[in-house]
Amino acid sequence: MNKKTSLLLLLLISVVLAPPLFAGEGLFSGMVRDYASLRFEAGDIAVHEQTVDVKYEYFGDIGRLYIHPTLYSNPNEPLLFDLKEAYFDFYFSNIDLRVGKQTIIWGEAEGAFITDIVSPRDMRSFILADFSEIRKAVPAVKMDLYLDSYTLEAIWVTHFIPSSLPDQDSIWAQQPNLSLPPTVTDVVINNPTPVSSALENSELFLSLGHFSNALNWKLNGGYTWTDEPLVAGITIAPPTATIDQGYERYFFFGGSMNTSIGSTVVRFESALAIDKPMNAFNPPQVSVEKHHQVQSLIGFDWNLFGAQYSIQYLLTYTHDHHDNLLVQMKPIQEFAHTLTFRVQDTYFDDKLTAKIFAYVETVPLNALIRPSLSYSLSDGVLIEGGFELFVGDEDGMFGSYQKNTMAWAAIRWYF
Amino acid sequence: MRTGTKQRVLTLLLLFFLVFSSLNAATYTGQEVMSEVYNRDSGDTMKANLIMSLTNSRGSIRERSIVQYRKDSEGIERKLMFFLAPSDVRNTSFLSFSYEDGRGDDQYIYLPALKRVKRIASDSKNDSFMGSDFTYDDMGTRHPDLDTHTYLRTETIDGYSVLVIESVPKDTAEYMRTLSWVVEGEWFGLKKEFYLPNGKLGKTLTIDTFSQIDDIWVITDMTMRNLEKNTSTRIQMDEVSFDLEIEDSFFSERQMKIGTRG
Repeated sequence: MNKKTSLLLLLLISVVLAPPLFAGEGLFSGMVRDYASLRFEAGDIAVHEQTVDVKYEYFGDIGRLYIHPTLYSNPNEPLLFDLKEAYFDFYFSNIDLRVGKQTIIWGEAEGAFITDIVSPRDMRSFILADFSEIRKAVPAVKMDLYLDSYTLEAIWVTHFIPSSLPDQDSIWAQQPNLSLPPTVTDVVINNPTPVSSALENSELFLSLGHFSNALNWKLNGGYTWTDEPLVAGITIAPPTATIDQGYERYFFFGGSMNTSIGSTVVRFESALAIDKPMNAFNPPQVSVEKHHQVQSLIGFDWNLFGAQYSIQYLLTYTHDHHDNLLVQMKPIQEFAHTLTFRVQDTYFDDKLTAKIFAYVETVPLNALIRPSLSYSLSDGVLIEGGFELFVGDEDGMFGSYQKNTMAWAAIRWYF
Repeated sequence: MRTGTKQRVLTLLLLFFLVFSSLNAATYTGQEVMSEVYNRDSGDTMKANLIMSLTNSRGSIRERSIVQYRKDSEGIERKLMFFLAPSDVRNTSFLSFSYEDGRGDDQYIYLPALKRVKRIASDSKNDSFMGSDFTYDDMGTRHPDLDTHTYLRTETIDGYSVLVIESVPKDTAEYMRTLSWVVEGEWFGLKKEFYLPNGKLGKTLTIDTFSQIDDIWVITDMTMRNLEKNTSTRIQMDEVSFDLEIEDSFFSERQMKIGTRG
């Protein structure tokens, strides 16, 4: 841990510990976790990580202070400190105001990101992190205005925060799918050019929601950045090709809803990205083109014999499609179909939870299948284990990670 | 008075009392008793702290701590529960709307780690409530029209005149019949037995403590025993208060996220 991180940590601990000494109500909670995974093909222990995740809430007359620091320890790597969230909540009669670094979740989808694009993603472990940990907080001011059963939400993200992608030496690094001249034997991918902190580079989001039980709905929109970088240009100087990356802006509009039909929950979510920037690869050059893109998801949740079932279908359509379009240096399909399945049941008075979650891409056929067990040794102490099974066509998003098929185990202690 | 005369008078008095009692009890039908139970005053609003102690077949005990708010109005029972303990479920909240007209419940759960309120499937009235021996049905008030009720007899428990009612579900249910011991005139239950389709006793509910708070009878300590699994769940309530000013808007997504302190 470097000096700056140590000082920050010390300051944070002081802030957290100081309030209870003189007034008000403070509450500590958190979790310590040890997680390890074993890759079958390589036979290596890909990860053995210890996590200390602390949450502190301080309640005052006008609102709440919330601080959420996390420490990660990995073998032979410096201790990683992350201030996951730090914000103030102010509660008024019809308005809630949240100011600070915060995670914002939108939409109805589980494990898919359609209108849920306010907070970027931490993809350094692909999508294997807990759904609760895969989101990155953004520095923002969020205001919720409540009028009867309607909620108007306005969000100003002051600084653009991109998604975190795996390092090039990570087991999760994606190799660019670009046909470069045969004289090129070395590809250097530069870090994306950061977006400056100018006011015009901030992001704005707006949502109107209605909560009525019969049908709950939300309409969303925003002016945002592509959370993942695009190729800004390729410089070829054999034997090296240098890829520069950057971020682009676009508008999106969408909505989501949920209702019950009988005892089945039906969820729907859709978004239209207007002139969404994407890459077009015309060898040896890469350019940025703008295409409308629609993503729509329908999901069903139901219970049967005590078990919970869920199925989702996600369609992504790219307008004016052609074969040279790329996203994150991988080809885009005009119509992409993804299915997810979840089955979950509990046993022994809810102490044992068995779950299978699966993503399936239909073309090319490939999947990620995630069976897991979680056993509560005692209140707040869980022992867990499972598999991450990457199967199917290696040109698919999941199939390309076949060599990372792994077993994992973890123990968590909540306090 | 001679001893023989005394005995005759006492016998006559006893007979008179028994006949009067049975006539008085016979004025109730099972349906009437259970309608009285369903309609008894339980306050338009209520707040209570619940401690749920789950004992497994080996005798080990786990505890759940919940704050519950309830409001009945316009034929809708709204319930909002905040889980305080154990630590892995702290700040989780559960919101439900039950409808008098028989519509299926609407249920939502807020998982703080996911920061999202999620609608959940609600056909699970016979499912265990939080891994306990209570079902969601047991935690609510079952509509009397769902069962056929028969008055069986009157008993005396702890000095209370108690009507024993047999209820048989009209549709298929987990238990083929239940027996309820209902305090006459006050219309709250003191005991309940749940019989399995094979006729065996499956579960028993016993009431250990009850008291009058704000003129409303409240069961503050009860235990459900599952005789098949040899497990039990005890629910203790404290800080019970009724008829608080709680707006309908309290039972909302907003409050689920804010928690009890907002």
